[in-house]
Amino acid sequence: MKESQRQKQKIQTRKHILDAALNQLAKDGLTTTRTSDIAIAAKVSHGTVFAHFSTREILLDAVIEEFGIRITKRLHELVNSNCGMKEVLEAHLKGIREYEAFYTRLVSEERLLPESARNSLIMIQSAISFHLIQIAEREMEDCKISRMPIDLLFNTWVGLIHYYLINGDMFAPGESVLERYSERLVEHYMNLIKLN
Amino acid sequence: MKMCIACGMPMKVQKDFAMGDETKDYCIYCTRPDGAMQSYEEKLQSMTGFIIKTQGLDKNVAQNAAKGMMAKLPAWKV
Repeated sequence: MKESQRQKQKIQTRKHILDAALNQLAKDGLTTTRTSDIAIAAKVSHGTVFAHFSTREILLDAVIEEFGIRITKRLHELVNSNCGMKEVLEAHLKGIREYEAFYTRLVSEERLLPESARNSLIMIQSAISFHLIQIAEREMEDCKISRMPIDLLFNTWVGLIHYYLINGDMFAPGESVLERYSERLVEHYMNLIKLN
Repeated sequence: MKMCIACGMPMKVQKDFAMGDETKDYCIYCTRPDGAMQSYEEKLQSMTGFIIKTQGLDKNVAQNAAKGMMAKLPAWKV
């Protein structure tokens, strides 16, 4: 009984450190945030962080994985197999919007990240693309949207949103880019792909 | 929500599970026609193909990412 309580506490502390790290990395950047600042934000000792994550790279990996699980689960929750292309794009942005600062850091700093972190991001994007593609392929069959290579359909979409996010200081200084532009970006993209 | 041990996909509804069996720990995409879970080689090939199909990445990059991710999943962890 005592052991299981300890185990429970361990899981909670780990989750607590991950949450604090997600916020701190969003604030200070994925490549520059210090583990000591994550410990302060989590209100645990520096040693406790390393007791749960033996290296900074392992912690970073775990945070990106946790983010990936949350964002793909959210997309699962927000869409169903009957929803249309516009709804899935809106749901994608809604999911990102909940972690906008972290996601922006992640895509801005991607090339500077360790290989394992980059691999995690590749898998997150493939999982999201898969959701979009399932609906896009159905709408291509139904002649609702233009036929095009599906990888390009996804890359064109993320290219557009990443451009706005990475240059958020020019598009929406001091505020949420997605709060301000989601509707317009979805509208524009739908106009590009839909058939009359 | 259960997650597939072989590819990490969240399994939300019955049809997401292997053979529609919710007691299984792997998903419909990681299942052979006879219901068994795919082998490491089969999964590596299909996951590499999945990355290329969904994002159009270079084959070697996709395969490397697939290997890296599979190493973290319960079914393939050493």
